[in-house]
Amino acid sequence: MQAKHKLEVQRRERTGSRYARRARAAGRLPCVIYGHGQEPLHVETDHKQAIRYFESGERLFDLALQGESKAETVLLKDLQFDYLGNNVVHCDLVRVDLDEVVEANVHLHFVGEAKGLKHAGAILTHSITELHVECKVRHLPEEIRVDISGLDTGHPLLARDIPLPDGLELKAEGDVVVAQVTVTKAADETAEGATTEGEGSEPEVITAKKEEEGEKKD
Amino acid sequence: MALMPKRVKFRKEFRRVRDRKATKGNYVAYGEFGLQALEGCWMTGRQIEAGRIAAQHYLKRQGKVFIRVFPNKPISKKPLEQRMGKGKADVEYWAARVKPGTMLFEIAGVPEEVARNAMARVARKFPVKCRFVGRRLSA
Repeated sequence: MQAKHKLEVQRRERTGSRYARRARAAGRLPCVIYGHGQEPLHVETDHKQAIRYFESGERLFDLALQGESKAETVLLKDLQFDYLGNNVVHCDLVRVDLDEVVEANVHLHFVGEAKGLKHAGAILTHSITELHVECKVRHLPEEIRVDISGLDTGHPLLARDIPLPDGLELKAEGDVVVAQVTVTKAADETAEGATTEGEGSEPEVITAKKEEEGEKKD
Repeated sequence: MALMPKRVKFRKEFRRVRDRKATKGNYVAYGEFGLQALEGCWMTGRQIEAGRIAAQHYLKRQGKVFIRVFPNKPISKKPLEQRMGKGKADVEYWAARVKPGTMLFEIAGVPEEVARNAMARVARKFPVKCRFVGRRLSA
């Protein structure tokens, strides 16, 4: 992956939650840049533009620091969200070289229609949508295409079964289920470890039982 | 039939503070779309069950519904015309602690429009304002 876009950033003169909040109110996204043994750099960028890049799967950027001509390549390392879990409030960018080996998460793009979906009530579930890999920055793909046309019920697709592009090494556990075709059961099932009001009037109280036993011993 | 735990450590518990925002369980983790609470409440087992039935009826066995909250908090209530005191009352119902941001339900295996309609029906069963969300961005 080569950096396609320039991320224009400005240095943040004052840091802390109060100033970060003011920056967000003004349509800016607070970021921090670190790595390569240099001092961390607190910057801010245009919120809308940054989110547009992140949503399109961009992870690698050429940094354009306002007022400085030094060129740097940065990789998106982490995102922080607010309590609603969807709004990005801060991002971490790490300085990288194109030949540096990094660990990163790569999106999985599922292609084809699974064989097992022809069964009645069968659905495709994927517990993870990205894979943790290690590779050189220049080999980091935007996404990994996974062909699921051969996927059938009872045979989940594991992380180790995914063919990785050249230069990529799997860092996630190999036996993690990536996708599987499951047949949904009848609607009236209840959660495991739960009971309904009709079955047992009250739950079993663990401590109450122990007290009774204690009394018997005395 | 409302949900409740099978085993508990204590029969009754304190009310505890309710006005906090969700710091976990606040994003779509299992399905593709979710229903997120924007307010806090004690959501009863009956309300959760009503939501599940509403979703299942609309989906007609398509897709998979994940319930992300469980009523594990016993709520006690004194009978009517009872004088105050004389100890804590009996457990009346079981509730889930819902904070602003908590993901309540998730759906997988259906198109967005179907999931949106199903979640709209589910949201009507709940005592809080909710919103429909998808999976969030990841680094």
